Amino acid sequence: MSVIIQADGLCRNFGGLQAVDSVSFSVNEGEIFGLIGPNGAGKTTLFNLITGLTPVSSGSFSYQGRAITGLPPHRIAGQGIARTFQNIRLFKGLSVLENVRISQHACTRTGLFSGILGLPASRREEREVEEKAWEILKLIGLSGRAAELAGNLAYGDQRRLEIGRALALQPKVLLLDEPAAGMNAAEKQSLTGFIREVRELFHVTMLLIEHHVPLVMGLCDRILVLHFGSMIALGDPAAVQQDQAVIEAYLGAE
Amino acid sequence: MEGFLQNYGFLLVTLLQQSLLAFSLYFPLMAGQLSLASPGFYALGGYIAAIMSTAPECTPLREKLGTGIYPLEWLAAGLISGVLALVIGISALRLRGIYLALATIAFVEILRVICLNLEITGGAIGIFDIPQLFAERWSYGLIFGPLLLLTLLFVYRLENSRTGRALKAIREDELAAGAMGIHTTYYKVLAFVIGAVLAGIVGAMSAPFLNTWNARQGTFDASISYLAYVLIGGSRSMWGPLLGAVLLASLPELLRPLKDARLIINGMVLVVASIYLPQGIVGALGRLKRCVVKNTSPMGGER
Repeated sequence: MSVIIQADGLCRNFGGLQAVDSVSFSVNEGEIFGLIGPNGAGKTTLFNLITGLTPVSSGSFSYQGRAITGLPPHRIAGQGIARTFQNIRLFKGLSVLENVRISQHACTRTGLFSGILGLPASRREEREVEEKAWEILKLIGLSGRAAELAGNLAYGDQRRLEIGRALALQPKVLLLDEPAAGMNAAEKQSLTGFIREVRELFHVTMLLIEHHVPLVMGLCDRILVLHFGSMIALGDPAAVQQDQAVIEAYLGAE
Repeated sequence: MEGFLQNYGFLLVTLLQQSLLAFSLYFPLMAGQLSLASPGFYALGGYIAAIMSTAPECTPLREKLGTGIYPLEWLAAGLISGVLALVIGISALRLRGIYLALATIAFVEILRVICLNLEITGGAIGIFDIPQLFAERWSYGLIFGPLLLLTLLFVYRLENSRTGRALKAIREDELAAGAMGIHTTYYKVLAFVIGAVLAGIVGAMSAPFLNTWNARQGTFDASISYLAYVLIGGSRSMWGPLLGAVLLASLPELLRPLKDARLIINGMVLVVASIYLPQGIVGALGRLKRCVVKNTSPMGGER
């Protein structure tokens, strides 16, 4: 198994607050890598560092052996790292279909004029974008609502669409920020199945932030536990569950 | 027909011209960028055309090209506006929302004051006796009309292309657009430059049409008028700027019998429209259409 993401001593502070404090880990290709920790542990900040939305204070990370620290978000996404957001950030005023069309931006290259003139290469590309978009919509079960505005979808459907939109980017690494937040037990169950299916179909490596412990334990190959920005445990689900520091962080020391 | 064109030719051409200027503001707005710089580029384009048509230094060029000088003026105006927009856009588009609007207003004002004081732009008097391209006013429709058609076609194709999708994504959520692989700065600057090129060309075409060109051509008032065209017509559809410009620019003419009271009505239309038609006229029509469709077909929006 080869390493796809390698983080070395990642730090980020906001003023006096150490949101992420020298975190180092590596993610293997094809793995589902869980990220857990109490509220405010720095999980989302870590995602923002990886995707370039927040610059690192110090430390570095590499993707497929290349250093990508400090690259702007669109370049990082362009190399195949896609994400969803904790507080769903769909293009709400655009149609469901348009949402999955847009995120194919980085894997297409039609420029302003070839698009407007409708040159053969751009027409071919447009057909491919269209096909791929419908393929994704079928997979996430939203092909019947393609014309609907994304903002009008039910909450669970919006979550699925956000994953679909990230997948349309044809990523090698997918970062899911609390995909099960606000879902009921049945929906969580179906989400677990869906995430497994996505891994099979797309051969994508996943980093997953989640609070729902059974879901994380059932899905992840390895889990990293953060507490006040520091790493307190890293290992397979069983080992993490037994870890004394983790139990203390979640339940308090006896 | 002859009489109609004599009477209303100027108005018709003005409507075409104002529609084009509305589109120059619509392009950056497609990417969610509220830029009010259009009158600046419009004034710049006009000055370029006026200088090329009247300056003694350009006499040999005019003699050589004949009427061919006009397309050259449009080209020069578009090009220079585009380059200037690129320089301004890269720095100004770091600002967002109302701050960008303020910066672009400042640009329009700076340009106006510069033109008011330079010798080459004729100072406060401006440049007059600009040679005419056509003998009749309405004939200018023969250049503004095709340019408007071309612009409409351009926007229509743009909205359904990769570039257009990138612009819409930035308008909806700039941060998410970046995380989806879209180079947001590039596309914002691109939209700004397209709008500036269009405004510059329209300015160059307008200089002979209006016969004189001075610092009153690019003002803050004009910025607000163009913005009103787009907002009241509808900023989310290509038909919005067109409809808004045609309605609002013809309103003062339609209300001419009311004398000065027309300004009150004009203002009231703006206020009422912005309260009751937040999506503009085109947006309201779209909602109406969806309501009708829903009520007539029991299946609702299912396909």
